[in-house]
Amino acid sequence: MAVIEVKNLTKEYKVNKKGKGLGGAVKNLFLREKAIVSAVKDLSFTIEKGEIVAFIGPNGAGKSTTVKMMSGILNPTKGQVLINGKDVAKKRKEVVMDLGVVFGQRTQLNWDLRLGESFELLKRIYRIPNDRYEENLRIMNDILGINEIIDIPVRQLSLGQRMRGDLVAAMLHSPSVLFLDEPTIGLDVEGKYAIRKFIKEINRVKGTTVILTTHDLGDIQELCERLIIINNGELMEDGPLREVTERIAPFKTLVVEFYDGETVEHEKAELFYHEGNIAKYRFPKADITAAQLIEELSAKKEIKDVSIEEAGIDDIIRIAYQGGNEKI
Amino acid sequence: MLSSIKHYTSVTWEYLKLSILTVFEYPANMIGWLISNPLQFIVGFATIQFVVKEFGDISGWNYGQLAFLYGLAIISHALSMIFFVQGWFMGFFVIEGDFDRYMLRPMNVLYQFCFTHFNLIGITDLIPGICVFVYGCIQVGFVFNLRNIVALLAILVGATFIRGGVYIIIGSSTFWTKSVADFGGYTQEFFDKTTMYPLSMYPESVQFILTFVIPIGWVSFYPAAELMGLSKDAFMPGVAPLISLGAGAAVFAVAAVIFYMGLKRYESAGS
Repeated sequence: MAVIEVKNLTKEYKVNKKGKGLGGAVKNLFLREKAIVSAVKDLSFTIEKGEIVAFIGPNGAGKSTTVKMMSGILNPTKGQVLINGKDVAKKRKEVVMDLGVVFGQRTQLNWDLRLGESFELLKRIYRIPNDRYEENLRIMNDILGINEIIDIPVRQLSLGQRMRGDLVAAMLHSPSVLFLDEPTIGLDVEGKYAIRKFIKEINRVKGTTVILTTHDLGDIQELCERLIIINNGELMEDGPLREVTERIAPFKTLVVEFYDGETVEHEKAELFYHEGNIAKYRFPKADITAAQLIEELSAKKEIKDVSIEEAGIDDIIRIAYQGGNEKI
Repeated sequence: MLSSIKHYTSVTWEYLKLSILTVFEYPANMIGWLISNPLQFIVGFATIQFVVKEFGDISGWNYGQLAFLYGLAIISHALSMIFFVQGWFMGFFVIEGDFDRYMLRPMNVLYQFCFTHFNLIGITDLIPGICVFVYGCIQVGFVFNLRNIVALLAILVGATFIRGGVYIIIGSSTFWTKSVADFGGYTQEFFDKTTMYPLSMYPESVQFILTFVIPIGWVSFYPAAELMGLSKDAFMPGVAPLISLGAGAAVFAVAAVIFYMGLKRYESAGS
């Protein structure tokens, strides 16, 4: 069953064109030239129950705008978002009962008071029955060890602890959909590990559908089976990680160690890195096999050692961010 | 409906509890306001005393009557500070994207905007207000019978909503202007000048505007004139407190409509 349906979603902003200097400013005062900027253009996709989807794209690609329209904060210019069949823009209060949202850059916790007070407030705002509240806190303690920090004022929590608190706050009312906007931003290794474990656990235990935006490759690799890439407000790629890799990064990298600093070229492979005795060649899987390439290179120059790297998530993102049309 | 009222009541109590806890978290802050806020009004009242001593009265109102008016105005000012001071800072909410969280919670956004933070600092305004008002009551021989108490409550509720409504209307302009402006200074200046002195001292055109267009006259002047039986300045005698209440409801309703029109234009903030 589709939990989220995004249909032809478009968000346009009117901006005033600004003239140069003082003359331009005076001219602007009388003649306002409006330009329309599209932050999101005709975006459509559906997300099924229990999926963990990474929503990625460069800064300014329209990720946050899309997430904000999906969660009812912004009104779409055109198109609609349905969550559990309900139009988000029309039935905000009903939809948000089933929605948890965490913004990595800002907290919903009460800065001045102990963490537990924020939870008590949310309990009343979402009308969470006592037994369900206790049960959820217990689960959250098992996964995130929240009881250790529940009596500490939020302002005294470390970033990692605060993020744990925010995740619990977003899950207290047992939403079936969780939006995470850069949940691991600024966290140390241990913090990231805890957040990822949490996402996996609630997805497994409660079947929560998770949509996360991130710039962290580890997040995507560890958590997400599906990738949605947007750039300039448009959908670039949508599919399982492996499929997207095959489609937009159908190459491997051969790392060669020579006996000296000299390298050789090959017409079917791009020498894109060379330092000391190490050279890296990127080659399309369809054109040449690794064995062939090694053989032909070694015919030109003696090779000491080789290793082969699959296209990684960073390659995919790099190519997708550049518009998906870069040659290897 | 009933469950909705229960829901909002329970959340309101929780907000109040959190606001009280926050005050206890930073007690020095409260003490600072406790000194500076009453001082502001005591000085203001001293100015009136000086004017009356020099000129005999203001627009036919004697010292005791002016204290009654002044006190009543400060009390509703204090109440509006407790419940609606956020309106002064709406620009920050609009620009910083602070409405995001309210939109994500299953409650009325305007309710959350007003009540998420009770400004208990406003109590520091309430103290001088009550002192000056009680002094005025003694001077004019005001009787606290049931009818007068009910009338006073109606006036204070109406006046608080008139003020709050105006704060929200002015604040909502930032949905269109998208500029951060702190309207507090202007708004307070405007209300101080129009509610703490008899409206009848202004030109008739100004009186007309402040009676019918922006019904500031109903915050303190007309109801005070009626409660003290000043027939020269009384307007709609007998029902002035009710009109205050009605004006409060009307101004706040307009404010809510404008607020929600503005909220449709809300653009959040870049993450």
